[in-house]
Amino acid sequence: MSKGFCLLAQNNEKTDYVRQAYALALSLHKYNTGQKISLITNDKVPDEWQGPFDKIIYIPWSDDAQDEDWKIQNRWKVYHASPYDETIVLEADMLILSDITHWWDELGKRELFFTSNVRTYRDELVTNRFYRKTFDANNLPNLYSALHYFKKGDKAKEFYNLLEVIVNNWQLFYGKYAPNEYQKWCSMDVSCALASKIIGNELDITDPNSYITFTHMKTRLQGWHQVPERWTNVIGRYYKKDGSLLLGNYIQKGILHYVEDMFLSEEIIEKLKDGTVY
Amino acid sequence: MTKGVLLFALNNLNIDYVKQAIYCAKKIKKHLNLPVVLATDNVDYVLNKYPFYKKYIDDIVKLNFYETTQTRRFRDGTMSERNLTWKNHQRASAYEISPFDETIVMDTDFIVGNNILLNAFDTDDDFLIYRHIEDLNQDRPDEHRFNKISDRGPDMYWATVFYFKKTDFTKSFFDLVEHIRDNWHFYRLIYQIPQSNFRNDYAFSIAIHIFNGFQRTNWPKMLPGKLWLTSDADVLIKTDKDNEHYVFLLDKKDWPGHYTLGAIESANVHIMNKFSLDRHIDEVFSNE
Repeated sequence: MSKGFCLLAQNNEKTDYVRQAYALALSLHKYNTGQKISLITNDKVPDEWQGPFDKIIYIPWSDDAQDEDWKIQNRWKVYHASPYDETIVLEADMLILSDITHWWDELGKRELFFTSNVRTYRDELVTNRFYRKTFDANNLPNLYSALHYFKKGDKAKEFYNLLEVIVNNWQLFYGKYAPNEYQKWCSMDVSCALASKIIGNELDITDPNSYITFTHMKTRLQGWHQVPERWTNVIGRYYKKDGSLLLGNYIQKGILHYVEDMFLSEEIIEKLKDGTVY
Repeated sequence: MTKGVLLFALNNLNIDYVKQAIYCAKKIKKHLNLPVVLATDNVDYVLNKYPFYKKYIDDIVKLNFYETTQTRRFRDGTMSERNLTWKNHQRASAYEISPFDETIVMDTDFIVGNNILLNAFDTDDDFLIYRHIEDLNQDRPDEHRFNKISDRGPDMYWATVFYFKKTDFTKSFFDLVEHIRDNWHFYRLIYQIPQSNFRNDYAFSIAIHIFNGFQRTNWPKMLPGKLWLTSDADVLIKTDKDNEHYVFLLDKKDWPGHYTLGAIESANVHIMNKFSLDRHIDEVFSNE
């Protein structure tokens, strides 16, 4: 059974997601040995960024996000594009900051797994529901698609086939299955939650007590009284000599979903490159 | 292994911490029956003003003069306040000052009301402290104010009372607390603490955070029992039942000068209104 990480990245006018994907791939290899990661993109990947990737794969079929600014319309294709039997899917604006290779054993017990609890930079469970109003109002499974896993097989395929239909007809599905606090845009989190709700597999594909999680840096999740526009404006970030990253004086481990592109400085990329073998 | 309690008393112009310490020691003797050592910068004052101190205090340690200009607001309820010198820097040196192998250090305005703290001596842990407080005033639900040392900072621990064994480990810990104290303005900027005053709760919390490798762990363990707190906006008005039942006027939120009656009995209570505590102690000591 082949195993690997996969992410889909499409640049827009503001953000170079391929650069983020490159940093993510570097971080994977820096803290984890013998891992594979593939990038799904139609954008040009500079030669010097290609090294950390196992494969660079074109988005299957047509580019459904060609005219979109927030390019999520192709995300369901990751199931079809992944070259691995078992895949951990990540978003590009993430870094892996410690050894997570043991996650494969835990995830291998499932056909499909989504994180349904996320942590703050202080390693506290996120309880704030500001960004989850649609989930609460419609009793949707609290899934985070930014980190999920699938094993190729009937169950995962059924899920992704339905996800394709939902993403391509999101107004219809959101209106029918999530009419309260109606979300006026298509998101992978809500679409995945709807797919799970329709199939009825929530208990099989998530566990709120699982240690498979990530640090989510959206500002309102951090438990702050004074919520800034950007977290990068209000807490320090620096690398220790041993290669560990601190945010706001807290050491970061596992997966960091940094959200704000300005976090990913050239200095951080240089630190990730330093001594990393792939 | 010697065991005892260490109290610090450094008076300012209006607050007699020595008087509080003797009262605190009286309660310690009653409930914990432990030796009590008082660390103070004015031994003569203790000897002359409170000649009966030996009933409750076993020994006195003279502290060297530690120059400080920091002041803070001390309230007596919500309608009266004074800005006074705040000499709190020497607690970080508790490791060197304590003559005991195992020590409980407590604020002089921490009133012992039961023997729960004796259980600290029965643990294998080198250092115990409270992570949370129980606010007697339920009209003050702003728990977040005490949960972290700053909005973006690490967990708050209460140096009001803590226990330590003398070991290499705790020696290193107190060395770090002293280092933080001596470089306070650096650390308070790094940890985004708006107040410029040095505060032991913050220094201990930062040291704990650093000792934990800049992450949350299950160290240190909590002291047994609860740390009850009344703020200096509350007023201690009377005690009953041989001074074990404390009655307070508790500050009504957003309604200065108005209070709710509240009481607590046989509990360990941090009474932050020093003036009302002082008035109560005067009544008790009138018979000494």
